[in-house]
Amino acid sequence: MEADFDVIIVGGGIAGSVCAYQLAKAGVGVLVIERGTSCGSKNMTGGRIYTHTLAKVFPEYAGEAPLERKIVKDIFTYAGKTVEYPSADLGSQGEESYSVLRKGFDQWVADQAENEGAMYITGIRVDDLLVEDGKVRGVIAGDEEMTSELVILADGVNSLLAQKLGMKEEIRPGEAEVGAKEVIKLDAAVIEERFGVAPGEGVSWMFEGVSTLGHKGNGFLYTNKDSVSLGILTTVGDIDCSEETVAGLVDKLHEHPEVKPLLEGGKLVEYSAHLLGKGGEVTRPKLYGDGVMVIGDAASMVVNRGYVVRGMDLAVESAVLAAETAMAANEAGDYSAGTLASYGEAVKNSAVLSGAQENIKNLEEVAEVFSE
Amino acid sequence: MNIIVCIKQVPDTAEIKIDPVTNTLIRAGVPSIVNPYDKNAVEAALQLKEAYGGKVTVLSMGPPAAENALRECLEMGADEAVLMSGREFGGSDTYATSYILSQGIRYIGDYDMIICGKQAIDGDTGQTGASMSEHLNIPQLTFAVKIDVDGEYALVDREVDEGIMSLKAKLPVLCTVGKDINEPRTATMKGKMRAKKMTVKVINSADIGNMDTSKMGLKGSPTRVKKTFTPSVKKAGMKVEGKSAAEAVEALLGDMKAKALI
Amino acid sequence: MTIQDKLGVDKFNTDELHSHIQVDKTYGDKEEIQRVIRVCPAGLYSLDDDGNLLFDHLGCLECGTCRVLSGGKVIKEWNYPAGEKGIAFRQG
Repeated sequence: MEADFDVIIVGGGIAGSVCAYQLAKAGVGVLVIERGTSCGSKNMTGGRIYTHTLAKVFPEYAGEAPLERKIVKDIFTYAGKTVEYPSADLGSQGEESYSVLRKGFDQWVADQAENEGAMYITGIRVDDLLVEDGKVRGVIAGDEEMTSELVILADGVNSLLAQKLGMKEEIRPGEAEVGAKEVIKLDAAVIEERFGVAPGEGVSWMFEGVSTLGHKGNGFLYTNKDSVSLGILTTVGDIDCSEETVAGLVDKLHEHPEVKPLLEGGKLVEYSAHLLGKGGEVTRPKLYGDGVMVIGDAASMVVNRGYVVRGMDLAVESAVLAAETAMAANEAGDYSAGTLASYGEAVKNSAVLSGAQENIKNLEEVAEVFSE
Repeated sequence: MNIIVCIKQVPDTAEIKIDPVTNTLIRAGVPSIVNPYDKNAVEAALQLKEAYGGKVTVLSMGPPAAENALRECLEMGADEAVLMSGREFGGSDTYATSYILSQGIRYIGDYDMIICGKQAIDGDTGQTGASMSEHLNIPQLTFAVKIDVDGEYALVDREVDEGIMSLKAKLPVLCTVGKDINEPRTATMKGKMRAKKMTVKVINSADIGNMDTSKMGLKGSPTRVKKTFTPSVKKAGMKVEGKSAAEAVEALLGDMKAKALI
Repeated sequence: MTIQDKLGVDKFNTDELHSHIQVDKTYGDKEEIQRVIRVCPAGLYSLDDDGNLLFDHLGCLECGTCRVLSGGKVIKEWNYPAGEKGIAFRQG
């Protein structure tokens, strides 16, 4: 029996939509199913996106994508000491990046895919996968089924679906961090004055080992167009080490003497939270099986080294690689694990997905560099 | 059973913020939703269609963006959607709107029943449905909590102050419904895909023809808004607590005496 | 600002009737319960005056942290809310 679609992608976040864009452009019939009322409505980031991979997919992104501010200044607060660097001086960690808010950005990526012919259904939660003889043949939502030759799971860090397939183990409390963030509205001019940046430019600020936060909570601050993203990250398994609640950690950062005056007069417009994998090969699930591939956060495509946290650029890269494999599978009419294995190979060989982790120093090394 | 459901696109009240300085509603950038009672109307129509066959047409008057609201109804399972959109309709009050919609119904033609939400959550007047039945000269069965049909008749239970009033009226009729009649369905995957392939028919007064322009838009609207204001906030009440009811009553009486209220 | 006030600025399409998280309110390990209370960024877990665990799924930010910490213990079942329901970020 003919399947309803060539490819069904579960999740309309950055990974899902970049993959859909690539596939639709190549003429592959693709359906994206997103559980939120619109793409991006369930997603949040710190957030800063390194755009090197996005640029390969959307060369004109800088003028078109709804990004917030280009990060030109990296500030680190470590052991009570604050240092400031022009981002350009930080090598690969300082390469072209922007502050970003996911609701608008994810919708933009989805729009690009839809314009290329990808079909989107929002407001539907995929409950399970249709599996026959060990091969994934589609998705199940409520009492409905939708079939496809290939299912790509881009359903985020929790990826309950990859867990159901036995491709991914439940995340261990020590291997994940919980992030909580406030978005605080401030006039663009006020942001530019207080943070000393020009219009369109912004700062990234990481807080390590701040005594008021307790050693287990790291803070972050990013300037957006007319708001500031302020939040914390703490390892889920470390919750005993802190007397503080996760929500309380955000308040503490708020009261930080260096932060408080910068937010004066700001108004909270959103409070959000999300899980963040610690990344690395150990936490990576099985990336492919018969009729299925896993990409983005669902596939632990994240680098998290405390002072540098990146996932969105890796999500884009994994989506591009999975799309290449899916196109080849479509061409060959063979979606077996054997064919899809080329995605696993591509991930291994990807400088972005493997190399990115090597050239990131430990925090202590970075601190030494700073102290010099 | 051919049923026409009239719907309105309204601002999402969950998204409306009050301007702290002027104390007025901030409408800019507020997303739109289908008026919640209208979703109950669509659900009621779909249930009748499922029981007796026929088709469900959704009708709305509004700016081109109101197409999104109609699409949502198509996703639920409506068969056709018509949007009345034109400059000549702009500024219409409930009187003009009910005239315009009744002409839209005339344009759609063959119908056995019209179902509307009992009121829109933005204006809360509850006038449009009832006025439409007058324009169309058909019976109106407002605040329906149950709708059924038996041959040429509609059997409707209405919620009234005294209880439930059961009525029988010859089709075609107009019903208005509230939240109590049903739980509107959420669209299915296939319903959403089906709706993507459907088009919303957009018409204006010229497409309908023979419309009385003096009854449309601002000049056809006898209502004049004198003033809008936010009611002053009531002071919080007092919670009387006590270990037992008798103690609580005692405390309340004591307080009332102290304030010389009794 | 209390956590409730913070959640108050967020947009939720609430599913009043169905909780997407099933909690074992009689779970015996009090320390584990304390961990869950502390870890939820939305502060949805609390104790009443008699020390009973209270949980309200409305206001859930759908992060999954409680499941990762205490899945199979205090958290019996964890799923996302039904399509369209739950948190709807406007910023993200």
